[in-house]
Amino acid sequence: MNFFKRAWLNVWAKKGRSVLLILVSSAILMFVLAGLLIRSAAVKATETAKTDAGATMTLSANRQAAFKKMQSSSSSSSSKSSRPKLTLTPVKLSDAKSIAKLSNIKNYNVTSSTTANAKSYDTVSTSTGMGGNSSGGPGGMKSTSSSSGDTQIDGVTSTALTTDFTDSQSKITKGRGIKASDKGTNNVVIEKELASQNNLTVGDTMTIKETTGSKSTLKVKVVGIYKASSTSSASAGPMSTDPANTIYASYTLANTIKGSKYAGTADSVTFNVTNPAKASATKKAGNKLISSKYSLSTDDSSYQSIKASMNNVEGFANKIVWLVAIAGTIILALIVILMIRERRFEIGVLLSLGEARWKIVAQFFTEMLMVIVIALAIAGVGGKFVGNQLGSQLVSQSTTTQTTSSGTSSQPGGGGQPGGSGGSGMRGGAGGPGSTTSSAKTKNPDLEIAVSAVDLAELGGFGLAITFLSIMIASGGILRLEPKKILIS
Amino acid sequence: MLRTEGLGYWYQDKEQPLFQDINLEFEEGQSYAILGHSGTGKTTFLSLIAGLDKPREGDIFLNDRSLKQIGLTNYRRHDVAIVFQAYNLFNYMSPLNNLLTAMAITDASHAGDRGYAQRVLNDLGIGDDLITRNVQRLSGGQQQRVAIARTMCCDAKLVVADEPTGNLDEDNTKEVIDQFQRIAHEQQKCVIIVTHEPDVAARCDHQYRLENKQFVRLA
Ligand SMILES: Nc1ncnc2c1ncn2[C@@H]1O[C@H](COP(=O)(O)OP(=O)(O)OP(=O)(O)O)[C@@H](O)[C@H]1O
Ligand SMILES: [Mg+2]
Repeated sequence: MNFFKRAWLNVWAKKGRSVLLILVSSAILMFVLAGLLIRSAAVKATETAKTDAGATMTLSANRQAAFKKMQSSSSSSSSKSSRPKLTLTPVKLSDAKSIAKLSNIKNYNVTSSTTANAKSYDTVSTSTGMGGNSSGGPGGMKSTSSSSGDTQIDGVTSTALTTDFTDSQSKITKGRGIKASDKGTNNVVIEKELASQNNLTVGDTMTIKETTGSKSTLKVKVVGIYKASSTSSASAGPMSTDPANTIYASYTLANTIKGSKYAGTADSVTFNVTNPAKASATKKAGNKLISSKYSLSTDDSSYQSIKASMNNVEGFANKIVWLVAIAGTIILALIVILMIRERRFEIGVLLSLGEARWKIVAQFFTEMLMVIVIALAIAGVGGKFVGNQLGSQLVSQSTTTQTTSSGTSSQPGGGGQPGGSGGSGMRGGAGGPGSTTSSAKTKNPDLEIAVSAVDLAELGGFGLAITFLSIMIASGGILRLEPKKILIS
Repeated sequence: MLRTEGLGYWYQDKEQPLFQDINLEFEEGQSYAILGHSGTGKTTFLSLIAGLDKPREGDIFLNDRSLKQIGLTNYRRHDVAIVFQAYNLFNYMSPLNNLLTAMAITDASHAGDRGYAQRVLNDLGIGDDLITRNVQRLSGGQQQRVAIARTMCCDAKLVVADEPTGNLDEDNTKEVIDQFQRIAHEQQKCVIIVTHEPDVAARCDHQYRLENKQFVRLA
């Protein structure tokens, strides 16, 4: 095939022009690759988000049902009490166990909270001066006890499963967290400030005093020290105790402090769902296993928000890919058209020698192909860089959008997420401790920009298509050119 | 060998043809010069017998086969070789590659034979130091000789040239015309040259003048 040789001779002889073409093509392909990379990174990030962000399902007392009951009882005997009491039934652990057997449940965390009073140590008072040692939360929402102590006891199955820790708002700094094996023990994890104020360290014991019943004292052993981040203390309302006074323990210890009738119960149980996309189906299945006194609620907001923002990024990346591909095709086509005009004498000579027109088009295509192959290599190196820049820009932008919309607790539109941050101010409220309340602080996954063979293959496809299309558009000029034109000129 | 029958051509106006009812015959081993004032249609006529355009009227026959039958692309590839006034060569190639490319495209019997192409070039005074140099670094006369060498390398029996000496000085003109005469007489081809220069025309075997829409044979 003679046109291969001609193409090679031309590309080689006109090095300057070839280099310029390579540069233009590399620039175009680099942006195509950047788009492709961001898109595949977004797809991967969404996949990871499924497992990482996950979704939770919470089993708790059915507040609505309890509220109705309270209303009806207060209306029937309004004289009895001016302030009707909302009685919430503690969750049965046996129910939790049967729900945990559902296929989509990864693991679960039992939470039971109460308060106690400090005996062998001093509580931390809030630096703003607002914090008393008196109240556990706003209003009489607490189901567990009417009188509250100065120390918040958050009983859990495992601290590693609570949102504060999974969100990295709290971190174990010394010793270890509460584990499932701490069940039945008096092991606790205390906050760093509380520890340093009282010179407590891992292995020490401290004494607390129950606020109800016999008001007996209890010796507990410090197995770990955690650090609560400033965010979590900022989120605490003015009426709550200082977050540093929160002690994590096994839920069994909290139940013991509450009283014997609380054995085998919990304020709530949070289940981690394996596949967030199937969270609502799991909830349906779970509801069949429990009585109407309880309710199951799912929270996949962090998954949804990551999904939404990644969809945004993915959509944007798609647009980049197509826009750049189309613009690139047009630019290359224009360049090729100019090139063909400049080479009309050569085309005329080829035609006068009886060369087939398609072979002339094939020669131009081969020339561009050589250019594109080199440009692909350059773009492969440069696209990662452009993709990284563009990717981090995009993610930070979509995070800003999210923060704005979560502040107004809006619907998940346009990459926003349902706001849930209001909940974290309600520590110790009806939903149990903060662990069950969803926090809006969804971390956006970093886009991992890496050039894979698939990306390069796809880029090669785009490069070929762009070359092919631009030559096709421009070849109209070749096919229309009459060899006679070069005779009469 | 080549015969025109009732050949006529016009660009826009049918009533104002450039030439009309032309009946000419060109033989192998002979050279022909076509003279005429500017704008009379010499180049247009040449483009018809070179298979670069279709006649409006009449027909052209190569050995009794009409060009329509042969097909213009096929005709250009195998039966005719053209030398233009300028821009004859692929400017990104050496003289040698220009010849080899043309030989490959036209399926010449010597296709791929570097030695043959080299001998033809040497014969025309393109020395070994020039044949691998880019043609853009050759003089106008040298470039024109390369174009002539190209027609010699290809098998086409008909060679047409449109003012091949238009850009050349006296010495080069003489040299180029000598080569055309060699093509006609040694290679037994039919050479048709359009020219403004009476000296050039005088050296050809036959002369025609295009005037008043007709070809007039000069003595
Ligand atoms: N594509 C075209 N469209 C319309 N008219 C044309 C076209 N090409 C040439 N002509 C006209 O046809 C006439 C003949 O042109 P042609 O080039 O054949 O003349 P010529 O004899 O070769 O002239 P010259 O000696 O100057 O080369 C001229 O008047 C020219 O203006
Ligand atoms: Mg002319």
